[in-house]
Amino acid sequence: MSGFEPKILAFLCNWCSYSGADLAGVSRLKMPPNVRPIRVMCSGRVDPAFVLKAFASGADGVLIGGCHPGDCHYAEGNYKALRRALFLQRMLELQGVDPRRLRIEWISASEADRYAGVVADMTEIVRALGPLNLDRWEKVRIRKR
Amino acid sequence: MNNRIGVFICHCGVNISTTVDVEEVTEFASKQPNVVVARNYKFMCSEPGQAMIQKDIGENHLDAVVVAACSPQMHELTFRNACEEGGINRYLFQMSNIREHCSWIHDKKTAATQKAEALVNAAIRRVAWHEPLEPTFSEVNPATLIVGAGIAGIQAALEIAESGNPVYLVEKESTIGGKMAKFDKTFPTLDCAACILTPKMVSISHRKNIHLMTMAHVEKVDGFIGNFKVTVRKKARYVNEKCTSCNDCVDVCPVKVPHYFDEYHSERTAIHKAFPQAVPNTYVIDKQEKPPCIEACPIRQEAAGYVALIRERRFKEAAELIRLRNPLPVVCGRVCYHPCETECNRDYVEKPIAIQYLKRFALDWAREQGESIEPPKIERRAEKVAVIGSGPAGLTCAHDLAAKGYDVAVFEKLSELGGMLRVGIPAYRLPRHLLKEELDYLKKLGITFKMNAEFGKKITINRLKEEGYQAIFLAAGAHAGVTLDILGEGSEGVISGVDYLRRVNLGIESHTGRNVAVIGGGNTAMDAARTALREGAEKVTILYRRTRAEMPAAPHEVDDAEEEGIRIHYLIAPTAIARGPDGKLDVTCINIELGEPDASGRRRPIPIKGSEHVLEFDMVIPAISQNPDPKLFSNGGDQLKKSRWGTIEVDEESLKTNIDGVFSGGDVVLGPSTVIASMGAGRRAAESIDKCINGQPLENFQTHMPKERIARGEDFRPHSYAPMFKDIPKSDRVGMRKLPAHARVKGYDEVELGFSEEEAVREASRCLNCGVCVECLACVKTCQPEAIDHRMQNELVDIEVGQILLATGYDLFDASHAAQFGYGKLDNVLSSLEFERMLSSTGPTGGKLLCKNGKEPRAIGIIHCIGSRDENYHKYCSRVCCMYALKFAHLVKDRTDAEVYQFYIDMRAYGKGFEEFYNRVLMEAATVIRGKVAEVVPSGPTLKEQGHLVIRCEDTLVSKFREIPVDMVVLCNAIEPTADSEDIRRLFSISRSPDGFYLERHPKLDPTATMTDGIYIAGCCQGPKDIPDTVSQAAGAAARMLAIIAKGKVELDPIRAEIQEELCSGCRICNSLCPYFAIDFDAEKKISIINTALCKGCGTCVAACPAAAITGKGFTNNQIFAEIEGMLV
Ligand code: FES
Repeated sequence: MSGFEPKILAFLCNWCSYSGADLAGVSRLKMPPNVRPIRVMCSGRVDPAFVLKAFASGADGVLIGGCHPGDCHYAEGNYKALRRALFLQRMLELQGVDPRRLRIEWISASEADRYAGVVADMTEIVRALGPLNLDRWEKVRIRKR
Repeated sequence: MNNRIGVFICHCGVNISTTVDVEEVTEFASKQPNVVVARNYKFMCSEPGQAMIQKDIGENHLDAVVVAACSPQMHELTFRNACEEGGINRYLFQMSNIREHCSWIHDKKTAATQKAEALVNAAIRRVAWHEPLEPTFSEVNPATLIVGAGIAGIQAALEIAESGNPVYLVEKESTIGGKMAKFDKTFPTLDCAACILTPKMVSISHRKNIHLMTMAHVEKVDGFIGNFKVTVRKKARYVNEKCTSCNDCVDVCPVKVPHYFDEYHSERTAIHKAFPQAVPNTYVIDKQEKPPCIEACPIRQEAAGYVALIRERRFKEAAELIRLRNPLPVVCGRVCYHPCETECNRDYVEKPIAIQYLKRFALDWAREQGESIEPPKIERRAEKVAVIGSGPAGLTCAHDLAAKGYDVAVFEKLSELGGMLRVGIPAYRLPRHLLKEELDYLKKLGITFKMNAEFGKKITINRLKEEGYQAIFLAAGAHAGVTLDILGEGSEGVISGVDYLRRVNLGIESHTGRNVAVIGGGNTAMDAARTALREGAEKVTILYRRTRAEMPAAPHEVDDAEEEGIRIHYLIAPTAIARGPDGKLDVTCINIELGEPDASGRRRPIPIKGSEHVLEFDMVIPAISQNPDPKLFSNGGDQLKKSRWGTIEVDEESLKTNIDGVFSGGDVVLGPSTVIASMGAGRRAAESIDKCINGQPLENFQTHMPKERIARGEDFRPHSYAPMFKDIPKSDRVGMRKLPAHARVKGYDEVELGFSEEEAVREASRCLNCGVCVECLACVKTCQPEAIDHRMQNELVDIEVGQILLATGYDLFDASHAAQFGYGKLDNVLSSLEFERMLSSTGPTGGKLLCKNGKEPRAIGIIHCIGSRDENYHKYCSRVCCMYALKFAHLVKDRTDAEVYQFYIDMRAYGKGFEEFYNRVLMEAATVIRGKVAEVVPSGPTLKEQGHLVIRCEDTLVSKFREIPVDMVVLCNAIEPTADSEDIRRLFSISRSPDGFYLERHPKLDPTATMTDGIYIAGCCQGPKDIPDTVSQAAGAAARMLAIIAKGKVELDPIRAEIQEELCSGCRICNSLCPYFAIDFDAEKKISIINTALCKGCGTCVAACPAAAITGKGFTNNQIFAEIEGMLV
């Protein structure tokens, strides 16, 4: 399995985590290139279907980044996100997917170090878990609308 | 779907192209589906870059554009505008961030290029699904809120006000001016800070369109740019605009605390003004926590107030203050059970203040001095009120109503007035002539008293109403002793405590036995026992079924009883009484043990089986409790609702009974309670009756009802300028001298002898001035324009503004955290602000440099970078310290002959005129030593050396260790974010940078805006800066806000949720999810609908809709699905 480089998708909320990731860039913090961010307005926008779609499309891990509890720009979207993430982790586990492949983190706009840390850490964990073998899944088709 | 996509990739100079192979990415992009053109350019954001996009839109008929460059938070707007100008809808555009999220964070070119391709691909796929959107517009409220009125807030307020638009300026202190107002001179020009600041402060107060709110803070913020709704909490100032700043109040205020404005190096009074030129120029009363003694009192007597006045030897004023609120002050000074002392905070130190004794002292003093108090002139009213009962409740009610002018008649069943005060409490506790004094005053007030007038006989509720009484207050007390309920209780020689006391006190012939037993442990039991002793009993024994700890009687009463020779048997209860042929009473008793606590919290007594024994007495006085006279409910009061306990039932708040116009309070409602609780009820009843007669609803009562207080333990301070309770030096409570026991029992002379003046002052000096203002009301009396109102309340003010500027300033680093510099431990080690105040001509020393010992220092060390440029505290440079340190050196040289040593790490003289200033100070012979100071230590243990200091440091220019003796050390404390900046950040939904200061939108290009539209920052809350920079930033922010006000409307992103009606099943899951209540349920159509005006586009509902019936415009499912797929190629 040597040489395996996981693909990790990150849904980052516009106000905290995306800005934190931007700050990491501005601060030139180095991190592995495995995490690819998608900007959403709030972590509460992350539909469980996005996560499943990501896995179905070949992601080995999914990261959701939101504001710290109490800090969500829209008051409580991050709580909703947390609820959904915990639920998804249970569902994934039932499907034979290691729940560590889905991770939710609170990263504020000033926590560039934290973002870099999470990216490095998650990359390492998912790398150790190996590629997500989805063959056992029916070809997941998610309706487009 | 868009199928003519143009992709434009930016090199960003070399920022992107060093790690990302831009050519390769371009090549890759050009091969993707729907892409018709892909190009790269050095600076896409530049004019030619934008022109290139626009040209391609035209020539290649592009229907969507992707730009791969920096963060959308940086340039999304730029490119949207470019697209629009190029001829396509501004939302048919997607930005791919290959700089912050790629080139800057990776160094391997292949991996980075690969990732950039994925990022670009995601954007290409996404933009194919973009749809044209129209931005919405919102009107801008032209009003602006500015939080913080230091120099930044003042400057911005003035700039905006100049345009004629309204400004709300909210400041948490009592004056505007911020830290700058505390400075002496400013560097490098050395103009006096006050001279340049105060004119600006004054213009703030003159501007009609600036609404200044001091002592205020923002509590809630709703809405968005253009339309914010803000709630401001204004703390009561207790002084209104009528204040003429005459300073008379300061002269009479008895409370002194360290003055915050002088960094606690001077004293001020509770009523004060921060500094002479404060704006608003009104005084302010420092009321923190309410003094617990005052709060605990049912009539809200200003206990702390008269204690403070006694401390100042203003005895007459103390007596007057007591009289002001208390209709029975002499009585209270003697027999009150003083809940004030129970709550007194001094108890956390050692013992409560002897408040009751002090009250007695003040009134005794006034009497001895012949100071008589005449009732005030009262305007009479025609309405008549009847009060039944002349006990403390009745008298208080009568007093309050008479003072309001009502025609009050008090009906007393007995031949003597005073209720329990007269017939319950023995004369050795409350001498009769003193009670008479109180009654005389009440008579002078115009109250009529009718004795021998029993309720139920001639006087009934109906009769009174017929006679024209508009309201009746029933306060008949509880004069019927509760029986023991044991065999033989009716025997001759058994008499209840209240009956016995009444007979003795009224002088009715009554036989007292030689060997008397009193049963019970309350005050009545003590009174009965001690009275029996005085009536000739040889032996008095109290039988009580619990232990001393559970006894309800006041502890000192129990002590007194024991001193007088009364024996108390604990854990014993009578079970039967039998009268023998010889007239002796055989009382069968049983021993008791204590079980689990019962409902009252006291341990339940359990009789011990088989422990019965017989004791012999010739008189038994059961004094376990009292009830209202049951006859009350038969004659004339037969419609009154009676409680389970035989008391009258009333509404707790208004004291209204079930009969209209009839109120009731005191023991007849509460059961046997206390004098002061009854007085509280009388007062409340008077308010109720007044309201009732004036036809007002019985609500919003102003009279006091004590609330539960939370005990806080000794880790608390009485007010914010005081030490913790545990650090306050102990001092003994002054006890009261008493008549010796043998002399007491001979008659009814008063047992307690009162305080001497010295004792009273000593005891009063123990008061901690909890909450600073003690409500002595001396300021009210002295204030000629009547500007002081102690009842002023905090206020919530709702305002609506379009934009908000935060200018909340900074805190000074607390140097005691860096113990090596000795701050807070060694004398003569000062913080920079303390030194500023010392230099100021209005400061604690009037501008003189003085050591603690009053002498001028011979050498001063100024240490730079305390807490800043320090890994342990703050890594950043505070920017202003080098220059103010030089200013200090100059001023020291100017005013004294002292040597000045500067200890610096690097000298930072970056501003206009700074370097010149540095050179000038060097010429003035200040010694500068380059090196971080290791520590500041006392120079030696001997007396002569005391107060002198040694600075140890390394001189890095000569590579030598040095020790420099000085008399004074000045620390250049770091500027740090305010302690409340996290709360404020949250409130306004902005961010902080890693150093803790508020995060600007862009560190270079947009230092005044924040990520939240409509919220701006200026001054040191954004980062350390000097006055000119602060002023420029504030003016810049003002200009930004004015531009939007001038425009009148703002564009809002059309990122909103939308429901597709045909898909909505009406499950209502989304309804409760929306934090803005933007989703409603249409009951008729049975679907949910979204109010677009309220929606802010977070997308939570979109993600939650099980039927995918909600679309998040700008972030649709299809767009994100496409982005996911594109990201994972
Ligand atoms: S905006 Fe960041 S989690 Fe909601």
